[in-house]
Amino acid sequence: MLGRGLKRKLSDYEENMAGLSSAFDSSRNLPYPLKRQLVLNMCLTKLQTYKMLVEPNLHRSVLIANTVRQIQEEMRQESNQQPINVCPGITPSSHSYTGMESSGIPLQLPSGISQQESNCCDLRSVEDPIENSLLIVSDDDMSSAISSILKDLDFVEDISPPTCLVPTGDDQPKFPENTGLKLEDDRQDLKGAECVFGSFEISNSTSYLKDLAIDDIFEDIDTSMYDSDFCCPPLMPPRPPSLATEEPLKTFPSCNSSSASNIQICRTDLSELDHIMEILVGS
Amino acid sequence: NKTPSHSRGEYNVYSTFQSHEPEFDYLKSLEIEEKINKIRWLPQKNAAQFLLSTNDKTIKLWKISERDKRPEGYNLKEEDGRYRDPTTVTTLRVPVFRPMDLMVEASPRRIFANAHTYHINSISINSDYETYLSADDLRINLWHLEITDRSFNIVDIKPANMEELTEVITAAEFHPNSCNTFVYSSSKGTIRLCDMRASALCDRHSKLFEEPEDPSNRSFFSEIISSISDVKFSHSGRYMMTRDYLSVKIWDLNMENRPVETYQVHEYLRSKLCSLYENDCIFDKFECCWNGSDRQVYIVMTGSYNNFFRMFDRNTKRDITLEASRENNKPRTVLKPRKVCASGKRKKDEISVDSLDFNKKILHTAWHPKENIIAVATTNNLYIFQDKMN
Repeated sequence: MLGRGLKRKLSDYEENMAGLSSAFDSSRNLPYPLKRQLVLNMCLTKLQTYKMLVEPNLHRSVLIANTVRQIQEEMRQESNQQPINVCPGITPSSHSYTGMESSGIPLQLPSGISQQESNCCDLRSVEDPIENSLLIVSDDDMSSAISSILKDLDFVEDISPPTCLVPTGDDQPKFPENTGLKLEDDRQDLKGAECVFGSFEISNSTSYLKDLAIDDIFEDIDTSMYDSDFCCPPLMPPRPPSLATEEPLKTFPSCNSSSASNIQICRTDLSELDHIMEILVGS
Repeated sequence: NKTPSHSRGEYNVYSTFQSHEPEFDYLKSLEIEEKINKIRWLPQKNAAQFLLSTNDKTIKLWKISERDKRPEGYNLKEEDGRYRDPTTVTTLRVPVFRPMDLMVEASPRRIFANAHTYHINSISINSDYETYLSADDLRINLWHLEITDRSFNIVDIKPANMEELTEVITAAEFHPNSCNTFVYSSSKGTIRLCDMRASALCDRHSKLFEEPEDPSNRSFFSEIISSISDVKFSHSGRYMMTRDYLSVKIWDLNMENRPVETYQVHEYLRSKLCSLYENDCIFDKFECCWNGSDRQVYIVMTGSYNNFFRMFDRNTKRDITLEASRENNKPRTVLKPRKVCASGKRKKDEISVDSLDFNKKILHTAWHPKENIIAVATTNNLYIFQDKMN
């Protein structure tokens, strides 16, 4: 029996790839930290995209994750050489060097950080605003992101039985409210994420959450919306926890400084959301 | 040497068949693409040809046979196959073979499935012609060509905790002469040579080939471009060749700490790595190949962008860039060498790096095992070139 294959052609692209136009390559005067930030952002964007795929490419994911780790390590070593402890609270955004306010670096202060440290951060930021904002990324955020992606790639064997997200008192993660608002823009991403979690075990991505300090996850929350006008927080659509923790990796609107007190106001609202989350995830 | 049976240089399609179909894995809710990742010919033992072809998950052994005659004149059957009533047979005759139009048949002989969790990137037939290996991102399995329901796992680099994963297998090949020896390459630019006699699971390599990084070339993308996309032994088995993103390296199996030769395929791309990372071209997996088994000549060939492909002569140290494109080359004309201008003033006939078309990539090239005939695959076309006849 003669088999007949159907010949299919890849559609010819009309235009050249505009690939060789990266600012990194064309500009020789870009300072090193800026270049590094560009690369880091690209890496994180790619990892984010791969996470949306049903079957991410393991080879590429590993290469990109290694690149992120390498940059992370470099940044960590640089920051270790600094005399002052740096706030782990500043997250890069892809508009990082264009979106910054000229007056200084807006910092998101997790409530756990003492006033002392925050003063130091402010001081440092005034001295070299751009470098400071670009250098510091929460190590835990990135490590968690990489870990979660790699763990999700282990999608066939050793699938552990599904576990509910069990509240454990203080360790219970609280979800940032602003993500509810951000989700207006990210609906598509969210949909993709939900598809991803249709096939993956949610438990795969919650393991690292318990290792993180609560405040580390949400240092970069834009809490400017938490003013007294807000009585009822908008109800968040159900979100698996790992996606929430990857929020820091996505692009952010320009961060506005906010006071710690605003965060306090909303803690009770957040715990309500937690409760709803438990119910949704647990089912 | 050989008589000009190929001097006309015209080729027609011999056979087309569908090797794999798309499948859906219901358990994991994943579509398994029918896209073929690798094809390997088996050594010919009889009139038929055999090849192994693989997609991401399943390997198939195909038999391709020709039929150019058919028997006619059966006593008990009509020509259309219907059986005759025996009582109507009054004479006996001997059936004879009569020529017919050539028919090429491809039939699947073996299907080797369900042995790979990750995507298969390589298959390699052993010199014993009885076994072969298949490699995915994290594991290598050994098969017997006759046995489809089991395989032996000979390499497993999956960490207990996937979060610790930093390296994957990118290619694997059996040694051409030594049937217990094989190599596999990694995403970190290393090659490990393993001996199957050492242990059932070859987790410990016999040799590790790795070149120390050149600090002056260090960049954010150093690791990505060091990932090896192809590894090929030389015919003698004394050397092996690896392809990473920017170069081809020749290794002497007796020397592990550095390659004996390095050839730059498209060094002009080194300053463009970020852009190539942005558009994902940096992950393109180029193959490489040795020339046929002519003992006097040692040429290696690999593809590049803009439908260019490169050849490096190990003896003369000369290299050439050629283009596989219909617009620029009429049939029977001699290919004109091409040149890419990295920077500065572009000479006439040179093409600048920024004008290169990165959609037009040549990932697969092959050299005829005996003749100076090469096959070069562009995105949608296959080109066959041969040595200029004097």
